[in-house]
Amino acid sequence: MNEPQAARATHIGRTLVIASNTFTQLVRMKVFYFLAVFGVIAIASNFFDMPQHTGPEAIGANVLRSIKSWSLGAMTLFSVVLAVVATALLLPKDVEDRTLYTILAKPVPRLDYLAGKLLGVLALIFVSLLAMDILMTAVLHIRTQIVLDQQMTLAAAMGYTEEARESLRAETLAQGPNWSLQAAVLAVFLRAAVIAAVAMLVSTFSTSTLFTAVISFLIYFIGHFQADLRSAWLAGGADGEGWIARGVSLLVSLILPDFQLFNVVDAVIEGQLVSIAVMAKLIGVGLFYVIFYTLCSWLIFAEKEF
Amino acid sequence: MKVWKRTGIVALAVIVTGAARMPVEHRLTAEMRAAGLMPATLDISTRERIGQTSAAVALGGLRTLVATFLNLRAFGFFTEQRWSNVDETYRLIVDLAPRTRYYWETASWHQAYNAAAYYQNQSALPALRRREAWRSSIVRGLEILDQGISNMPDAWPLHVQRGFLLRDPNKIRAFGDPEASFLAAAESYARAAEIEGAPEYARRFQFYTLARVSGREAEALALGRELHAESTAHHAPTLLSVLFALEMWENPEADAKALAIDLFGTEERAVEQLGLYWQRVRERFPTHGVARALEALYDARGTPASERIINQPPPRIYDPEEAFAPGPPQHD
Repeated sequence: MNEPQAARATHIGRTLVIASNTFTQLVRMKVFYFLAVFGVIAIASNFFDMPQHTGPEAIGANVLRSIKSWSLGAMTLFSVVLAVVATALLLPKDVEDRTLYTILAKPVPRLDYLAGKLLGVLALIFVSLLAMDILMTAVLHIRTQIVLDQQMTLAAAMGYTEEARESLRAETLAQGPNWSLQAAVLAVFLRAAVIAAVAMLVSTFSTSTLFTAVISFLIYFIGHFQADLRSAWLAGGADGEGWIARGVSLLVSLILPDFQLFNVVDAVIEGQLVSIAVMAKLIGVGLFYVIFYTLCSWLIFAEKEF
Repeated sequence: MKVWKRTGIVALAVIVTGAARMPVEHRLTAEMRAAGLMPATLDISTRERIGQTSAAVALGGLRTLVATFLNLRAFGFFTEQRWSNVDETYRLIVDLAPRTRYYWETASWHQAYNAAAYYQNQSALPALRRREAWRSSIVRGLEILDQGISNMPDAWPLHVQRGFLLRDPNKIRAFGDPEASFLAAAESYARAAEIEGAPEYARRFQFYTLARVSGREAEALALGRELHAESTAHHAPTLLSVLFALEMWENPEADAKALAIDLFGTEERAVEQLGLYWQRVRERFPTHGVARALEALYDARGTPASERIINQPPPRIYDPEEAFAPGPPQHD
């Protein structure tokens, strides 16, 4: 192995060790207890099948949407809260436990330390989302089969032709577990990864965990308006905005990440399909944000005195 | 390197990359909006109406979750028969999830059917007010379907629901001119039939409704013949009966009995189905030659005059207008 390869392997190795320790540290905080809450939500959402108008198309039309809506909503909330809170806790906790001094006293580059910490948080979010996704997919799969059986029985009784029944079957299956649903879960993960990277950047200059969490949540919410503000800036004041409003629009557009881009959850719940090309672009944007904010964090953290 | 220098570099990097990613993200946003993957901006009135907490959740990318909660609330209003609250809640729901067909259908169903039936039977109100509330609920149900169709033009069930509502004998008086309603219903069914995945019955209903519009009989007859020739799956009793009436409209001198047997297959089936068709007076189907065919069939079968449907008074049929007559509501 030549010298640069050896150095690279060491960098990756160190980062992975820190990531693994961070993951263990977070697991010991009993964060996985929320999975029990998620389980209750996924199962409870099955009971919101309200009586509606007649016809096979109406049977279970609401309950499948309800399962996806509740589950993906819970995934979004859990992942964002985990991303912000876990990341905000990391640096202050390492300082408090004096682990940080032990690590930085060794020949560990600060970039490796930060990347390891972030990877640990992302691993936790990934495992959590994976567990929730498996549960949601299982519940949705079982319920879709039940709904399909009911619909086909009624459609046959009402004299639907084979063609009409196939059309109905395809429509119901589109509401069940499919690729787009998994793409939505991946988009939820990407959004959580970006906000975790932002929280890490904030925590490098923040003086308290609370400050980091509050600022990160604010960035998260304002980030959902970023596309609108960008459009307002690019419209060039066509809607009559003053120069102050346009200036603020530009500033927010330049500084904050666009979280609305990752918001494909609503469309998927409404039955839209996510193409692989769009998903690849979202992954690209997500990776860019994570790498960029990690590098910014390192620039600030590199010579920080403790 | 000094802290301020590093912070400056970070700030500069954020701004430079922000400027670089702006066109890329703008294009991606446009692409995703075009693909229906990104919701339109939530307008201010919707944000105000759903309240601060829900608005925060909705803005945080969970609009459909808020819509699900609001749907539960609307169901509560429905059980309490608070129709204006039901309507207001569904207005919010469809603002939040405009591409969920179920919400459009349910919102329309609550107004056009449930609220309308409630006002029809609400004896506490004066007849005139009940009638107006009944009429405006039905019209509101239609309006919701129209808005749903403009949001989801490719959703055939919305077009079919619109057709059902417009030709419903219990609702048709709410729309004014029945023939205009039948024509609008026929157009809805025709649009539904053009959409991929629509059931075949959409074209049959287009035929049934078009046949009831004066001046469009020839067009309806052509469609009826096409459906009849296309598949035996279309040989429903109503289709055969309407087709018979239109054939007799085109050629009043034709042998009604022979045509009826030809269409229905047997004398027995012809007399049974045309007899039932004759009694569906409130649906305003064309009846050209039906009485003549029935007379001829009864004669051939030796049916006594007292047992002939055409000699009996039409069945007592509930007319929605009766509910608005002075006094307590009447039911059949």
